[in-house]
Amino acid sequence: MRGLVLLIAGALALGAQNNAATEKEQGPILRALAEELDRSRTLQLAGVETPYFIEYSLDDLHGFAAVASHGAIISSNATRLRLPRVQVRVGDYGFDNTNYIFSDFFGRIGGARLPLEDDYGVLRHHYWLLTDRAFKGAVEAIARKRSALRNVTVTEEVNDYAKAKPEALVQDLRPISMREGTWTSLARELSALFCHYPALTGSQVEVESSFSNTYYLNTEGTRVRYPDDLFTVRIRAGAQAPDGMPVRDSMGVHARTPGAIPPQPALERLVRELASNLTSLLTAPAGEDYSGPVLVEEAASPQLFAQLIGANLGLTRKPVAEPGRTPPVPSSELEGRMGARILPDWMDIVDDPTQGEYRGHQLLGYFPIDLEGVVPRPLTVIEKGSVKNFLLTRQPVRGFEGSNGRARLPGAFGAKAPVFSNLFVKARETKSAQELKKNLLDMVTQRGKPYGLIIRKLDFPTMATPDELRRLSAASGQRGGATRLTATPMLVFRVYPDGKEELVRGMRFRGLNVRSLRDIIAASDTDNIFDFIGNGSPLPPAGVAGYVSGHTVVAPSVLFEDLELDRIEEDWPKLPVVPAPALASCK
Amino acid sequence: MLKLFSLFLLVTGGSFAQSPLLGLLSEELHRNFQVLSRKADPPAYYIAYAVTDQETANVSATLGVITGNDRRKMRVLDVTVRVGTPALDNYHTIRGEMGHFTAGIPIALDDSPDAIKLKLWSETDRCYRLAAQRLINIRTNKEVRVADKEDSHDFSREQPEKFAAEAPRLLFDDAAWAARMRKLSAPFAKYPSILNSGLAVTAQREVKYLVNTEGTRVSHGQPFSRVTIQAQAKASDGMDLATFDAFTAADPANLPKDAEIAAAVDKVASDLNQLLDAPLVDPFVGPAILSGRAAGVFFHEIFGHRVEGHRLKDESDGQTFAKSVGSPVLPEFISVTFDPTLRQAAGEDLNGFYAFDDEGVKARRVTLVDGGILKTFLMSRTPVPGFESSNGHGRRQPGAEVVARQSNLLVESTKQVPEARLKEMLLEEIKRQNKPYGFYFQEITGGFTNTGRRGIQAFKVIPLVVYRVYADGKQELVRGADIVGTPLASFNKIIATGQKLEVFNGYCGAESGNVPVSAVSPSILVSELEVQKKESSRDRPPLLSPPVISTGASK
Repeated sequence: MRGLVLLIAGALALGAQNNAATEKEQGPILRALAEELDRSRTLQLAGVETPYFIEYSLDDLHGFAAVASHGAIISSNATRLRLPRVQVRVGDYGFDNTNYIFSDFFGRIGGARLPLEDDYGVLRHHYWLLTDRAFKGAVEAIARKRSALRNVTVTEEVNDYAKAKPEALVQDLRPISMREGTWTSLARELSALFCHYPALTGSQVEVESSFSNTYYLNTEGTRVRYPDDLFTVRIRAGAQAPDGMPVRDSMGVHARTPGAIPPQPALERLVRELASNLTSLLTAPAGEDYSGPVLVEEAASPQLFAQLIGANLGLTRKPVAEPGRTPPVPSSELEGRMGARILPDWMDIVDDPTQGEYRGHQLLGYFPIDLEGVVPRPLTVIEKGSVKNFLLTRQPVRGFEGSNGRARLPGAFGAKAPVFSNLFVKARETKSAQELKKNLLDMVTQRGKPYGLIIRKLDFPTMATPDELRRLSAASGQRGGATRLTATPMLVFRVYPDGKEELVRGMRFRGLNVRSLRDIIAASDTDNIFDFIGNGSPLPPAGVAGYVSGHTVVAPSVLFEDLELDRIEEDWPKLPVVPAPALASCK
Repeated sequence: MLKLFSLFLLVTGGSFAQSPLLGLLSEELHRNFQVLSRKADPPAYYIAYAVTDQETANVSATLGVITGNDRRKMRVLDVTVRVGTPALDNYHTIRGEMGHFTAGIPIALDDSPDAIKLKLWSETDRCYRLAAQRLINIRTNKEVRVADKEDSHDFSREQPEKFAAEAPRLLFDDAAWAARMRKLSAPFAKYPSILNSGLAVTAQREVKYLVNTEGTRVSHGQPFSRVTIQAQAKASDGMDLATFDAFTAADPANLPKDAEIAAAVDKVASDLNQLLDAPLVDPFVGPAILSGRAAGVFFHEIFGHRVEGHRLKDESDGQTFAKSVGSPVLPEFISVTFDPTLRQAAGEDLNGFYAFDDEGVKARRVTLVDGGILKTFLMSRTPVPGFESSNGHGRRQPGAEVVARQSNLLVESTKQVPEARLKEMLLEEIKRQNKPYGFYFQEITGGFTNTGRRGIQAFKVIPLVVYRVYADGKQELVRGADIVGTPLASFNKIIATGQKLEVFNGYCGAESGNVPVSAVSPSILVSELEVQKKESSRDRPPLLSPPVISTGASK
């Protein structure tokens, strides 16, 4: 009897909010989760605490990855996982158990896995136990938070959770066709091309396909289910230059549908391009310290905007901490600078997750609804060069309350992290690419410099190891630059007054940050498009795993009046005593 | 003549037919060694390449539905480069550390020369660099610190070996096993107090390849499979309870049939259910019987870890038995042997079987304790004062450096009595010591041991199913018991053993990672065992009652 009553109660609640899909179309997962969610409202502890908000998520993943090197498969594995997340909030929207340093610690359910088959009863059983743990953790966290607040003064009152209207977005499940054999062959064949570039002693091709059904439900009545797929072909290679310096590069080709991955001949061209650039880099001369005009073209321009603007569009909030133990929380360089002019007034930047395609190129940052069930709309973040909007989640931050649907990654202290989607950098005043180059050369001559610099690619996402990043950051801090890292320029060309170009290696930016954008004096009339996978970090690693977000940046080439770069000075590792083995095959 | 030679090889067939991978490893090994032994400074005197090739299939289920079903193939490379001399090289232990050079990197699954050689070359270079750096540090350290009390060398001399045999193909019917796992995991739904439960089956084929610059070339492998049953619950006072059972067989076709697994599922579930209502133990010292499986773990923890040779070299280790060779360490009716060449005991396949250890030394039976007297230690190629050679127990998990580890531990007793008599002896001992009761440890889940000098020299074994035994013979299931103690004290308290051998198959985790092991022992009667209250969480059981369960997948 009891089961039956619950079923009806659940159906009624759903019926009120969701007219899009009938209960039958929703399937056992939505049904089981909705019913357990509903029952969980009755949780109570200490006669006082009951949940005012509960949310359930589920990522239902079918994944496959093949890794190959020099024509041989290193691994080729399918993964089938269902990852649940449960969050319980006690207290109220004004004050709850989140935004406290131990919010994540209590009631954590890390590593939980769900059964792979759709059994209504078993699904409810698992969410029952997860919710129980999350609720008890929430009660403990709010008690400790109240006690911590007795000993610290909080400078301002900000609510803990913003209200949002319930949404219903239940999309149909699409069929999944893994095509393991095809992807494996692709990885093997692309990797075999490196036999033509024997100077590159390390190389690898990774082909990954991930079909994911994302579910989200909360006690406000939101019901979400949509497909969130990602396909990647990633190429990496490296070697040591004659002076010992490690030279590496990577390239990622991404898509949200398998059909949008370029056909094999196009991918082969990309492999050859990467391989020959790297081979040229190995023998290129080391660059010298430079201060002067710099033209940022091709991938380098969107990569730059991803770091300097994209990574600074989310505001963070300091959690309530124990006295004397304030954790360092990374903050945006644009914090507190609403309305400040950071770019020329003929530039605007828009974040638009509603677009799926731009000029025939599939956009990676598209998403229909965020992790908190809020539907996003296009947002002008920079208008006439000035800061207009920040990316917001349901977590209120100083000066802002109310989500604009940008919660795309799990965050810290019970909140979600806002990150950009498709970033469109627009210039209302433009010049042709040739004019830009001519401007550069004119400035070079004017200032009596022997050459100018053109940068075409940055190491973003980065191939650097965590050790190398630490060294880079420390070195940057020592020279008076920001310790906040920006990606190393990979393809840097000296351009001489006669127009001739020469590739150099081993350079890095000095003091590059948001303020540098004020030195942009011109932009091209061309679009450079760059896709990448991020994890919320301003400098994500290439091939990052875990919870990720897709991004596309569209930006014109830009001319900087003044940028500083210097030569990387380090003790490079010695070259191997034993020469590399001779390669046997090359088809 | 050449023709005759190749014919000869064909005729003798199985003795040594080289796998293409062994050939590739050899070629690249010698190409690197040529240069590193002559042109590098410091020169390398030994290099070895070890490849572990694993293919695994897993199916797991809970409450009638599948929770996991996958297959994985991987090949992992471990490189050993030694610079200096066998007397003093880069693996010398300083300040308790032996150095870690190998990385266990993935390499191509097929025998592709370019891909494999490039990885071998770059790993050799990386390991050589680290080796050279550490040797310089060691040489400095040697000059500065007090000379070790008893210097022994860093690398032993051993025979090169040649052998080639591979494990049979992995035959595993995923669909059939999935159906079985669904069916066998479903009965747990009958017990609403059981919060988590599951069954899992794993089948694995592992082949190991090793070549070194002394001329060793071996490839050998074995299959492995296992079914595990586990369940967890929470008592009303918050204590976490668990029960467990497992079946091991080399060939998955020899795993038990449904009826036997179903009976085990039933026992795991009902034991756990009874434990929920069982009374809590109080701290206690007194007589106890450990079942064969429990005794096996007991010996593994309190004895096995203390005879792993390398610990005796390290000044930060307690070195419990360092000076005990030739002296009694166990009662005179007990002997302990380690035998990795044994495939089966008491009708079960043994997890600690191998043909060659992870340094290419041939596996062999080693008598550790004979009539209570300690004879030797488990040895890898790292010599120990008084013991210059390996006895085939150098083992590691891929990615770790080799140290001496256990294999199949076998306890033999000349004071065996039938099980019923052993119980009588327990009752007699309870009365003799004037205790209210004794203990019977039926099922344990392993334990851990601290052999370092810094902590207490102690061990802890974690029991799952424990009974209090009263002087009148009545048994009562209890919960919350942990066995603790110090090794030297516990050993002398063994009074007698049963006759029936039982096998505990599992994994042992220590400095060189997880390695498969087993312990075979009769049940033992101990006059004095210390029982401590288990750590308990004060977390309540779930606040809401379980939701409705329907077993069987519904779509």
